[in-house]
Amino acid sequence: MKSTNVKTKCSYVVMGLGQFLYGQRIKGLLYMAVLGLYIWYLFSAGITDIVGFFTLGTVEGDPWLGVAGDDSIIMMLKGILSFLILIAVIVFYFSNIRDIKNTEKLVEQGKPVPGFYASLLSFVDKKFYVVALFLPVVGVAVFNILPIIFMILIAFTNYGGDIVPPKLVDWVGLSNFAQILSLSGIKDTFVRILGWNIIWAVSATIINYFGGLFLALLLNKKCVKGKTFWRAFPILAYAVPGFITLLGFKFMFSYGGPINYYLKAFGLQAVGFLDIDAGWKARIIGLLVNAWISIPTSMLLATGILSNMNNELYEAASLDGAGRWKQFTKLTLPFVVFSTTPTLITSFVGNFNNFGVFYFLRGGLYLDDYFLASDTDLLINWLYNLSIDNNYYGIGAAVSLIIFIITSVISLTAYVNSSAFKKEDTFR
Amino acid sequence: MKYMKKALSLLLISSLAAGATACGSSSGKASGEKSEDGVITLRILENDTAKSEGYLDELLNEFNEAYKDKGIVAVDANMDEYSNLAENGPYGYGPDVLYQANDKLMTYAEDKHILALNRDDFECAKLIPEEAWDAFTIVVDGKQYTCAIPVNVQEPMLFYRKDKLPENWETDWDKDGDKTPDFFQNWSSLYQYSEQIQDDSDGENYGLVAACNDLYMMAEFMFSYGGYVFGKDENGISNPEDVGFGKADAAKGMMGLRQFAGVMSEECIDDSIGQNRYSKVADGTYFCSISTPDTYVLFHDRLADVYKAEGLSDAEASDKATENLGMIELPGKMPADGNLSGNDTEVDTVVMGGVNGYGISAYTEHKEACIEFVNFATSREMIKKRAEILGIAPTRSDVAEEIGGVTGMIFESLNAGHISLMPSVKAVDQIWDPMRTLLSDVAKDAFREIKGEEVKYSDEAAMQEALDKASQSIYDAIFTLSK
Repeated sequence: MKSTNVKTKCSYVVMGLGQFLYGQRIKGLLYMAVLGLYIWYLFSAGITDIVGFFTLGTVEGDPWLGVAGDDSIIMMLKGILSFLILIAVIVFYFSNIRDIKNTEKLVEQGKPVPGFYASLLSFVDKKFYVVALFLPVVGVAVFNILPIIFMILIAFTNYGGDIVPPKLVDWVGLSNFAQILSLSGIKDTFVRILGWNIIWAVSATIINYFGGLFLALLLNKKCVKGKTFWRAFPILAYAVPGFITLLGFKFMFSYGGPINYYLKAFGLQAVGFLDIDAGWKARIIGLLVNAWISIPTSMLLATGILSNMNNELYEAASLDGAGRWKQFTKLTLPFVVFSTTPTLITSFVGNFNNFGVFYFLRGGLYLDDYFLASDTDLLINWLYNLSIDNNYYGIGAAVSLIIFIITSVISLTAYVNSSAFKKEDTFR
Repeated sequence: MKYMKKALSLLLISSLAAGATACGSSSGKASGEKSEDGVITLRILENDTAKSEGYLDELLNEFNEAYKDKGIVAVDANMDEYSNLAENGPYGYGPDVLYQANDKLMTYAEDKHILALNRDDFECAKLIPEEAWDAFTIVVDGKQYTCAIPVNVQEPMLFYRKDKLPENWETDWDKDGDKTPDFFQNWSSLYQYSEQIQDDSDGENYGLVAACNDLYMMAEFMFSYGGYVFGKDENGISNPEDVGFGKADAAKGMMGLRQFAGVMSEECIDDSIGQNRYSKVADGTYFCSISTPDTYVLFHDRLADVYKAEGLSDAEASDKATENLGMIELPGKMPADGNLSGNDTEVDTVVMGGVNGYGISAYTEHKEACIEFVNFATSREMIKKRAEILGIAPTRSDVAEEIGGVTGMIFESLNAGHISLMPSVKAVDQIWDPMRTLLSDVAKDAFREIKGEEVKYSDEAAMQEALDKASQSIYDAIFTLSK
């Protein structure tokens, strides 16, 4: 066996040892330091954290007796972190292998082995993206990926209800999903709410989108005087915080609000717009209130896109005898839809998960035939009722995973089949 | 470009190093800190009213003055009044002493986040009635523990304008001649008076208008007829498996509520009454409304606004509002058959109430100092001061006796069993929304009838079925997912 081969093999066993033997002392020491640090972490906390991830604690705390006990939730978080650290070390290990193979090749070719400073300069230059993205990736891993994994894993535990720290949480496999899909009350509620949720998301997206487009086209008309003045009104509606608007509408439609006041003043009977019998009335009010809040955004978007339209197209279409409707359906609409498909999908997902509208307008009602929900609640509201109002965190996490799967499938299908994806170059 | 890359790399590396240095050991602040000079600092969580009215400052100042030689300092915990001890306490961020309602405190007690206390450690113990102590009692492994020290009782009260009493009340509305209007003594009379006001004003004004969807305000329509929240087990501790809103003659009472809602404004169905009641009692649209004692100042201020609009100065308006705003307990009698326009025998009104008290965090490092603080805060002087500043009804019999008036009446009602305390178990969180929905539906039903729409609760059987359904819904919310 050649001596270079042996040195290379050393790095397979001890990260950085090969580099050290090839004379790349500092680089080798740095790799070995990473390995050393990981081994130190493994024995000081890592092994406990990994084991804790699987057991989620064995000693129940008792503050009266001064027994600190295990905190299952912290143990789960530490466990996830330990796996993320393990993945990072594996990445380092493979970079070490790649590096030692490159060095071996250089030695075999009789070229000099680059020193630490030269390696560093070359790394910073050739792999600048790695250096630049290192901190953001670490940040994303800690502040984004870790909580997402945590939330997903909660769906597989019995966390919630009576099982909250200091009591120990346990893994329960798919039983939360089984409960949602099998327990009669919950299953029926889920199916009912999902049906309404899809109707809501589709209707709200269409109303908001075409409402905004209509307003933008209207305010784009040459005959409209004082465009800036009129455009300011939707912006004002947009500028008021959403929940303030929603509380205002709730009061407006209440029995003591101005709408019922005027109805009574005109000799009519008061109407329960949002009360227990409201049903579709409340749903339609929700759609309209949501339109009030959301149309300004799509109006602004459409206004911006329309300003990029080529007027010559309309002139040509006019000469060819196309009427206004034809021009709208064949020119304006395809152009606007093409440019806004991704926004349309974002808007659909936003509407699907629109928590505020019915929480503020009609929260706190639990109707017959619904489990901890009402006929206007969306899945996200039901999720809130389950996980925040009633502490069923595990079930709540399972519902949120289902919401995630539904919205992802719908969004991806819509996007992949859209012209914005298929004919990317059309308007370039 | 190359230099720029170098510079940027250096910046990124140094910020990583700075970040790594910042990741020191997470030594969470422990509750009940002890500084280097040996002074123990206790963090006290009080309610927002105590802060805004200046009572907390007085309490802290007097305690710190009295204990300056003993090395104990009490400070405002500076947390939201409903901050969660279960989430913050174990990590050292919770308060050492907390003042909250019994349902909230005992939720913590169930998971041992607050300490079990020895009643004998507290000077006020013998002066507090057993009913108040019961609100803070829990059974663990078959043994009873007391987890907080009762301070005051809360119950719904009737607010009205004294200058809006009918001129003929002594001749027409005081049949028993006891110098108290009948409509403040029994619900049937209040119903009849409300009906009369509505008829006389052609529907412009109303008698009693209250939030019919609020269980806390309306529980008397079930409790007075034998209904309850949760039954008790053999140790006298709440048993959430026994949901009792539909028990005994509760359906009769709910028929009474439906009847009363028919002479209220439709605002009683939804939340708008919660915002409007202060101004509408003040301007005379409603003769009276129901609320908790801590909202007295809101009724007072709206009434003062009315007097100011009539041309009085700020001080005169305030004095006149104080003189004319009445706050009394709800009428003490209800018709036994639930029919408010009949002449049946009467039953005693039983309202829902709560007891607020001081608990000590199980995570405090200075239990003895906390006990000293609670002893000081529940002393005769401080409770009296609390009652004067905040208008609370104390559970200390000596202070209740000394203050008398409404405070004394509330204390007596607690002793006489006319206040049914909110159960001190976690499951109580699940009762509010299902009952709110039912109460709102029952109130709405009165207006369905008036408008000629199809009614849902035409008889007691239908009402019983609805109560049973609501109870089942509460049971399901508590147990479906936790079994």
